[in-house]
Amino acid sequence: MSKPWAIRLASESDLDAIMQIEHECFANDAWSSDSMFDELTGAEKYYIVAYQDDALIGYAGLNKLPTVHQSEIQTIAVLPSSRGNGLGRDLMDQLLQEAVRCDCREVFLEVRADNPVAQQLYRSLGFEQIDVRKRYYQPDDVDAIVMRATLTSAKAEPLVLGIESSCDETGVGIVRGTTLLANVISSSMDQHARFGGVVPEVAARAHLEALLPTLNEALATAKVSLDEIDAVAVANGPGLAGALMVGVGAAKSLAVSLGKPIYAVNHLVGHVGVDILERGELETPTIALLVSGGHTSLLLVRNLLDDVELLGETIDDAAGEAFDKVARVLGLKYPGGPEIDNAAADGDPNAIRFPRGLMLPKDMEKNRYNFSFSGLKTAVARHVEVLNTKGELVPIADVAASFREAVVDVLVSKAVNACVDHNVPRLLLGGGVIANRRLREVAQQRCDENGIELRIPALSLCTDNGAMIAAIGAQLIAAGRQPSGLTFGADSTMPVTTVQTL
Amino acid sequence: MGAMLAIDTSAGTTVALVRNGEVIAESNHDNTMGHAETVAVAIAEVLAAAPGVGVNSVVVGRGPAPFTGLRVGIAAAMMFSQGAKAKLSGVISLDAIALLELEGNSAISSTNPLLVVTDARRKEVYYALYSGLNSHGVPIRIDGPAVIKPAALEEMLIDINITPVTATKSITAVAIAKLAEAQLRDACLSTDVTALYLRQPDAVEGQFGKKVSG
Repeated sequence: MSKPWAIRLASESDLDAIMQIEHECFANDAWSSDSMFDELTGAEKYYIVAYQDDALIGYAGLNKLPTVHQSEIQTIAVLPSSRGNGLGRDLMDQLLQEAVRCDCREVFLEVRADNPVAQQLYRSLGFEQIDVRKRYYQPDDVDAIVMRATLTSAKAEPLVLGIESSCDETGVGIVRGTTLLANVISSSMDQHARFGGVVPEVAARAHLEALLPTLNEALATAKVSLDEIDAVAVANGPGLAGALMVGVGAAKSLAVSLGKPIYAVNHLVGHVGVDILERGELETPTIALLVSGGHTSLLLVRNLLDDVELLGETIDDAAGEAFDKVARVLGLKYPGGPEIDNAAADGDPNAIRFPRGLMLPKDMEKNRYNFSFSGLKTAVARHVEVLNTKGELVPIADVAASFREAVVDVLVSKAVNACVDHNVPRLLLGGGVIANRRLREVAQQRCDENGIELRIPALSLCTDNGAMIAAIGAQLIAAGRQPSGLTFGADSTMPVTTVQTL
Repeated sequence: MGAMLAIDTSAGTTVALVRNGEVIAESNHDNTMGHAETVAVAIAEVLAAAPGVGVNSVVVGRGPAPFTGLRVGIAAAMMFSQGAKAKLSGVISLDAIALLELEGNSAISSTNPLLVVTDARRKEVYYALYSGLNSHGVPIRIDGPAVIKPAALEEMLIDINITPVTATKSITAVAIAKLAEAQLRDACLSTDVTALYLRQPDAVEGQFGKKVSG
């Protein structure tokens, strides 16, 4: 059970109750009632009290020195019977938040050298020992350890838990600022295999079942507890509505239970922002090509949080969907991407010239950055059908290699065009289809030819994951953006221009 | 003493905070859509009504209910219990409706049972039959929960020669909490929170070789 208490600002009328606790906690060196009164009423002082069932159980105070952007923890006390439940941490959190609010960059405190429990708490909050004051506490004759926390780093490096549930992957990721601590993904792909594609209801049911195991594995991997999380982030679109709602309901409730802010972020922007976890920052402007079972999108990213433009997207099937459908035509398994990649290994990519969608000169005017794969899929099906009718053997390796070549050719050509047209010498790839070896190979080759820097994040960060959502949340916090409210819902068709839903 | 947070999204969104049988706060929203938008707002509302009251158990209605909304409440309950380090349990939503009807109603028996019916959409209903309350105040379910066409349900009742009293009350989180408290007394409160869909997903297994040319 956590937080059986509540915290509010202290007032003069709390003086007697505070003094009782003061005497119980600091038997030999308690402050006088007059000193405490001055503390509670001082202009630059910030005192809070914790209470449970109408009785005071602890208090803490901060002395603010905003002109020098510093503050001091004056005191903190918790009744012995209420210790060990995280109340001390809760009180400290509130004081530090107040210090951040008044733009303090450093917070100082003194702690008894013979109190290792308190020292451990302060260290976990980012305090470091900077000095020792010999025999400071009298009459006990105990040294004081002076500690300092730098707040800018705490704000720039928030611990964020991200939840992703837009399609068939339940992802929970944990980041500290730009550092990846955990990225746990539970996929329901196997359950969709017999249907030959993602079934939304099956995916949504699987999210609910995977939620707690995925969360707990992520916390264990990151070696953090939920109490330490500074904020929760969740992908609330685009994606499958029923699937997104599981993540949205879960994330909001988690945030409320922890009393922490929530950030609702765009799933596609997450795919772009994930590069931050590998390089510490996202170099902009960049073109981003996101290719998965649900998306084929070409983006121009001038600024991750403020300026993401959709240049084009598929007008029918997503590229990953085309792989799945062609795999079925060829009698291969689901998911089609890796199956076709394997089948194509010994095939001739130029054996059959399959059509390249929206690549004709007339298309290049109206649909320069848009994609179409449904005609290609039909062309493959027709090719196979003709061979079957003639009673000829279908050269699966050649068909797979030629189909794959057509998809890759279109994807890379349009992405490189976007880079050249917009004079942006960077291309970032994202989405599950990036696992395709030939796509990465051709992208590298054409980028090299055109002097474009190619970024391909690790595959575990390319597929749908919670870490990318957490990374965007951390960026929003670092940029000082306000958290989302609790009323946002899932938006299955969210435009890429909506980076955060407030 | 900690309180119990009860959540049900089998119909609308309903959330309550209850301690020792006393309702501290409740938040009820009839809209049978918008669970993802509403659930956390409702939780925050009931918590705000009682500062200084800790939640040490979370109980959620497992349905039966049509898919989407039901999942939101269960997901919210799961996560809240983790964040608050509270115990998590699940009850059958129809049982909670039965509790509302059976309290103070001694006319119900196994020969004159209570029928609880809720909308399952697609021209079907969920139902369960109850013969009364046990000594701990837990409804005694004698049939269901199951999903059925209304005509088939009627036929079945005629077959077994039963004219039940049909429940008219709607689900509330307060009823979910009262049911959980009764089940606690009866030592039968379950930690199972799996969703009761009672239907398989609509999906057809992949068809291979669909013809594309004339």
